[in-house]
Amino acid sequence: MKYLPLIWSGLWRKPGRTILIFLQVTVAFALFGVLQGLKSGVAQAVAAARADLLIVHSRLSSIAQPLPLGLLAQIRSVSGVKLAIPVELSGGIYQNPSERIGVVAIAPDEDWPSAFTFTIAPEYLAAFRNSRTAMLVRDLVAQKYGWKIGDHIPLKLPIAQQNGSTDWAFDVVGTFTDSDVGGGRHIVIVSYPYFDEARALQKHTVNHFNVAITDPQLAARVADAIDARFANSSHETKTESLREMAQASMQAIGDFDFLIRAVVGAVLVALLFATTTMMVQSIRERTPELAVVKTLGFTDRAVFLLILAEALAVFLAGAVSGLALATLVLPLAARFVLGLSMPGVVVAIGIALGVLVALISATVPAALAARLPVAQALGGHRAA
Amino acid sequence: MSFNRQFVALLRMSLAASTQRLGSVLTILIGVTCAVTVLVSMLAMGSGARRQVLAGVHEDRVVVNSRGASGIESSIPREEADTVRDLPGIKLGAGGKPLVEFHAIVPIEARRRGTGRRIFFPLVGVTGSPTESDPELHLTEGRVFRAGLHELIASVPCVRQFSGFALGDKRPIGGADWTVVGHFQQGDTQQCVVLADAEILMSTFNTNTYTEATATLRSPADYARLQHALESNPSLHLEVRHEREAREEGIRQLNGLLNFAAYFVGAIMAIGATLGAVNSLYSMVDARRRELATLRAIGFGSGAVAASILCESMVLALPGALLGVLLARALFHRMAVSPFGFSFLLDVTPHLALTGVAWALAMGLIGGLLPAVRAVRVPVTTALRAA
Repeated sequence: MKYLPLIWSGLWRKPGRTILIFLQVTVAFALFGVLQGLKSGVAQAVAAARADLLIVHSRLSSIAQPLPLGLLAQIRSVSGVKLAIPVELSGGIYQNPSERIGVVAIAPDEDWPSAFTFTIAPEYLAAFRNSRTAMLVRDLVAQKYGWKIGDHIPLKLPIAQQNGSTDWAFDVVGTFTDSDVGGGRHIVIVSYPYFDEARALQKHTVNHFNVAITDPQLAARVADAIDARFANSSHETKTESLREMAQASMQAIGDFDFLIRAVVGAVLVALLFATTTMMVQSIRERTPELAVVKTLGFTDRAVFLLILAEALAVFLAGAVSGLALATLVLPLAARFVLGLSMPGVVVAIGIALGVLVALISATVPAALAARLPVAQALGGHRAA
Repeated sequence: MSFNRQFVALLRMSLAASTQRLGSVLTILIGVTCAVTVLVSMLAMGSGARRQVLAGVHEDRVVVNSRGASGIESSIPREEADTVRDLPGIKLGAGGKPLVEFHAIVPIEARRRGTGRRIFFPLVGVTGSPTESDPELHLTEGRVFRAGLHELIASVPCVRQFSGFALGDKRPIGGADWTVVGHFQQGDTQQCVVLADAEILMSTFNTNTYTEATATLRSPADYARLQHALESNPSLHLEVRHEREAREEGIRQLNGLLNFAAYFVGAIMAIGATLGAVNSLYSMVDARRRELATLRAIGFGSGAVAASILCESMVLALPGALLGVLLARALFHRMAVSPFGFSFLLDVTPHLALTGVAWALAMGLIGGLLPAVRAVRVPVTTALRAA
């Protein structure tokens, strides 16, 4: 501990230089943090997606092709299926065409939330089941529009009701949160039986079925069994787990692996070189001082460690502030990837990398300092 | 002595001195090289994507979509398609038939070779013979699909990137088995495109609408006539655009994203390189403190000293810029990438090279500012006495 003042004064001998190196390290690790955080954050989000939740949609196209509600009984009879819930999707507009809200119509069967990624309080669930026109609102949506329980919310849907009107209205009975990474942000849940009864066209069809299974290990087998049941029928299905779907939608960012590695490599090489040169420079200028330190009885080894410690201090401070910066910036990318946050492992790797680069770049200057011949250095002759 | 002569003399002196400060010079060189290489090669993605998309564009061709829609959202019902064929201004081909092609596009999935990852690519149903309507398309193997059969031809990149596209392979799409009967090459595009007969595709997917149409005009001047006829017809819900405009629109989003990423990462690296340059120049100026003070004492102007340091810093950044551009060109030019499932070759254009050099000069200029100010702010007497 008694060496701390020495290290401190060494750092502030030329404040401008130290601050510039600190900033350079900060910038390098901020970039490292953002790039690596994006990559690991996406991988983490995919790994967290549920593998035991299957989505059954039409084989023709996962977007626009409806499936008949009648498939439900057959899906439920497949062994390994715990729960199957019909889901219809529609795009709603609230007041202004730019305010789009995804409307998810589900059948409120017993225990239905277990076939979704939603978290809903029991009292809201009960209220939802007891009212035909009930609507559960995602917390983000409720916050955005200030909707409260009991509000009667008008929505414009692209689907006409029996009377020809496309103006629908639902009653807010509660809120929910969603842990899905690939899902829409602004969604509400309404009751499928009411929705299907009220609409004029495309009755008794759904967009897909959500299927919860008894054993996550069996996901692939159950999915194949469901698809096999409808093979060669007029409504062939394609069943995938939520994780597979997340993988597919996130893989675009995975394609940048090579690029991210190349950029991070280039950044570190440039940083390493810049800091090494600066430190060698600094040691040369400090030759007389270092000679004094040695005359006072510091061993070569102690001087070596002293210089190493100085480098470590700057690099650690720079790496921490750079990674902090990246952590602040990364959530801005949540516009592209929902729920993205800086994984702890990236911070840990960043700091370890900071230590490593500090040690590598300080080795040469520290060795120079350690090997200084005292007599010569005191005499004012600069070491080469 | 005039400012110019002082400036030139100072610049020559400082450049001669900088060879003795190899470490500092190399720091600037490596920092600038890395920043420029990364910036240029990332920008090369945007320019490569754009080049590929615009490669097959003809000035006399137009694209017809449903109004307000682009990509696969667009739909042209058969009734409207018949009207489109008879619009004025369209060139007539052999046998007096108007040169209009309709495409029905369905996104289907394939597995990447090796990784087995899923990726979507367009299955395009075309109304005419693909080799006749696009002279740049030529078969490399096999034959063209026959109308009315579940047959398809795949571009060469499909075969390279995905499994299941060898001649004779059968692919289950929309409940039918489709046989791969031919491979084709279209310019040097890297994108996997699969073509089939539009009629059989539409009946398989149970749809009655095409996605878009392309038409060849008699002359580019006929565009206004066609547009007027199309928009004044109340039974049509379509809009027409020049092919170039439509294709640019199609990749605007991807291009914007790629360029944003390039400038974001490039800017951060440039900041890092600039900081390194400032540090190096500071120490170079510090080392020449007495020399510079002496020069000022014998009559060299402060302006000339500051200008020479700024200029030196830009000159030192230049080799890094050139090296960076060369590295980007050597390592990444024509490298195949497929971000977001869209495959193309990186394209390091002369324009990008200039952008890289401009950025390097900016780094040199900004990096030299503070050291230049410092060099002339120290009072001559203090500097002469010190050290």
